[in-house]
Amino acid sequence: MTDHEVLVEAENLEKRFRRYHAVRGVSFRCYAGEVFGLLGPNGAGKTTTIRMLTTVLRPTAGVARIAGHDVVHEAGTVRRLIGVLPENAGIYGRLTARDVIRYAGRLYGVPPDLLRSRLASIAEALELTAHLDRLTDTFSKGMKQKVNIARALIHNPPVVFLDEPTSGLDVISARSVRDFIERFKQEGRCVIMSTHVMEEAERLCDRVAIVAGGRIRAEGRLTDLQARTGLGLEEIFVQLVEQTVA
Amino acid sequence: MIGGALSWLRARGRGGNAEAAQEVRRWILAVYAKETLEVIRDRRTLLVMIVLPALLMPMVILGISYLAQRQQQQIQTVVPRVAVVGQAPALIHLAYASKLIAPVRAKDPTAALRQRQVLAVVEIPKNFETIVARNGQAHVGILYDATDSESAAARGKVVDLLSRYSQEIVAARLAARHINPRDLLPVVLDQHNVATQRQQSGQLLASLLPFLLAMWAVVGGMSVAVDLAAGEKERGTLESLLITPPSREAIVLGKFLSVVTASMGGVIVVLLAMMVSLRWGYPYMLHTTQKVNISLPIGTAIVMLGVALLFSALVSAVQLAISIYARSPREAQQYITPLYFVTVLPGLAVQFVSDWARSPWAYLTPVLNAFFSFQELLLGTVNWGHLFLAAVSCAFYAALALEVAIALMSREGVIFRV
Repeated sequence: MTDHEVLVEAENLEKRFRRYHAVRGVSFRCYAGEVFGLLGPNGAGKTTTIRMLTTVLRPTAGVARIAGHDVVHEAGTVRRLIGVLPENAGIYGRLTARDVIRYAGRLYGVPPDLLRSRLASIAEALELTAHLDRLTDTFSKGMKQKVNIARALIHNPPVVFLDEPTSGLDVISARSVRDFIERFKQEGRCVIMSTHVMEEAERLCDRVAIVAGGRIRAEGRLTDLQARTGLGLEEIFVQLVEQTVA
Repeated sequence: MIGGALSWLRARGRGGNAEAAQEVRRWILAVYAKETLEVIRDRRTLLVMIVLPALLMPMVILGISYLAQRQQQQIQTVVPRVAVVGQAPALIHLAYASKLIAPVRAKDPTAALRQRQVLAVVEIPKNFETIVARNGQAHVGILYDATDSESAAARGKVVDLLSRYSQEIVAARLAARHINPRDLLPVVLDQHNVATQRQQSGQLLASLLPFLLAMWAVVGGMSVAVDLAAGEKERGTLESLLITPPSREAIVLGKFLSVVTASMGGVIVVLLAMMVSLRWGYPYMLHTTQKVNISLPIGTAIVMLGVALLFSALVSAVQLAISIYARSPREAQQYITPLYFVTVLPGLAVQFVSDWARSPWAYLTPVLNAFFSFQELLLGTVNWGHLFLAAVSCAFYAALALEVAIALMSREGVIFRV
C-alpha cells in the first residue's frame, strides 16, 4: 500500500464525555479496496471512533482525515465522501423503500436521472426491486438493513462505515449483507466495519484493529497477527480484552 | 416562508453565494417534503389536525350555545313552585292570574327550599293587606338559593310579581288623590344600540376565535414536532440524517416548516369549521331573533391568517426546540404539555384585561400580542402600529426559538442524550 491510496487516517484520536474517557489515542490508516475491521467488546470505543470519523462527534484531541479532508474543519466535504450505516440504524416506517433511498439521494445532491438509475441498480443488487414500493414498516429487520445500506450507498461514496452491520439479523440476511460488503471491496471502496463476531471479521476483513478500553491493543493483517501470537483470532481477542480488564 | 428562511440563513453568513443558497434551499425542501409526506401518512396526526377540530368546533360553538339557550328557555317558561308564608289573598290572586309563580304552602318553608321542594319562599308580614290599605309600607321577605340557577330565576319572578302588585297599589293610591301617574315620570328613556351587525358578530367571534386559533396552532403541530426530533432520536434515524451533507440549519428549517404546515393546517380547519358552524348551524339550531352575520372582510381574513402564521411559527419553533432537547417522545410530550397552557390561557385572560390593549408593550409580549391583534381585527378597531409591533415581535421570537433549536441540534450532548 502506498500513501496516495490512504482514504481514512486517524491520528491519536481521543474523545471524552465529561469524566468518561471513551477513546484514548486511536491511530490507524485504511486504504482503497480494503476492509478494515474494528473488533472489540461492547463499550470498547468502536462506535465513538466511527462517530468521530463520520463527523457526528467532534474529537477531544487528535486528527482524522477522509481522503485527505479533515473531519472537523471540512465536515461538509467529508460527509459527501462517506456512506454510513450506524449501529442500530432505524428507518422511516411511513415511507416506502423507494422514498427512503430517494430522500437520501436528494440530501446528497444526486441529480434526478442518476438517482433513478442508481436506485434501480442498487435495489437489484440487494434484491429489493420487488419491495421498493412497500412501506418499510412492513419489512423484516434484514430487509430494513438492506434499505439502510442502499441509502448509505446512493451517492456512490469511496469510503463506507458499517457499525455492527449484521447485528440482530438472521442467518440469511447476515449472509446477504456480508456478500455485499465483499462487493464493496471489489469495487475499490474502503470499508471500515465494527463487529464483535470473529468469524465475520475472519471472512471479510483484510486488516483488523482490536479495540479495548478506548485503545487499539493490536492491529494488522489477520495472518500476521496469528503468525505473531500463534493463536486464532478469537483467542487473541479474548486475551487482549482480558488484559485490558485486568 | 422558505424565501424568508433563506434570507435569514444568508443573514447569518452561511450562504454567501447564490450556489450555496441554492443548495441550502434544496436541502430544506428535501427535508420539508419528506417530513410532510410522513405527516400525511400518519393517521394520528391527521386525526388531531383535521378530523378533531372539524368535529369539535361545531360541538363547542353550537352545542354550548344550544344548551345555554335551552336552559334559558326552560327558566322562562316553567312556573316555579314558591312557598308563601302569611296571608295576602290579592297577591296570591295576581300570582295565579299572571302565571309568574305557583304559590304553595309548606310546613317548614326553609327546609323545603333546601330540599328543592320549592324554589323560593315569600314571607308576608302580619296584617299585610291592612298596612297596604292604610297607605302604609310593608316589608316582604324572599328566601332563595343563590347557588341554584333555577332558584335565582324563581327569585326574579317573585320580584317581578311584587313589582306588578306594587304598581297596582300605587296606581290605585294616585287615582284616589286624582294624580296622573305620568306626572311622576318626567323622563322616559328611549335607548338605541348603534353597534352594526358586523361589530356584534365581531364581538361574538372575538370572544371565541382567538382562543380556538391559539389552541389549534399548538395542538396541530404538537405531535408532528414531537415525532420529527425526539421521535427520530428514538427510532435511530437521526444519526443517519446528521451524517448527510445538509447543515444543521437546513435540517432544522426543513423540519420547522413541516411543523408550521401542520400547525397552520389545524388553524385553517378550525377557522373554516367555525365559520361554517356559525353561518349555517347557528340560525338552524338556535331560535334567535337577531340575524347573525359572521362574514369577515377578505382583507381582514388575510391579515388574521398572517398573524396566525407568525404565532404558529413561534409556537412551532419552541415545540421543535423542546423536541430536539428531549430524550424521547414521551419526555418531549411532558415538556410541551405545560407550554400548551402557557400559550392558551392568556386567550382566556385577554377579555378581562382589555385596558392593556391600549399599551404598546402588550403588542411586544409573546402570545399576548397575537391575542390582542386578533381582537382588534375581529372588532374592526385595527391599529396598524399595533399590528406592526405584533408581527415584528412574533417573527423575532420565532427566529430566536429557531436559533435555540439549531444550537441544540448542533450539540453532541443533546443529540446523544440517553
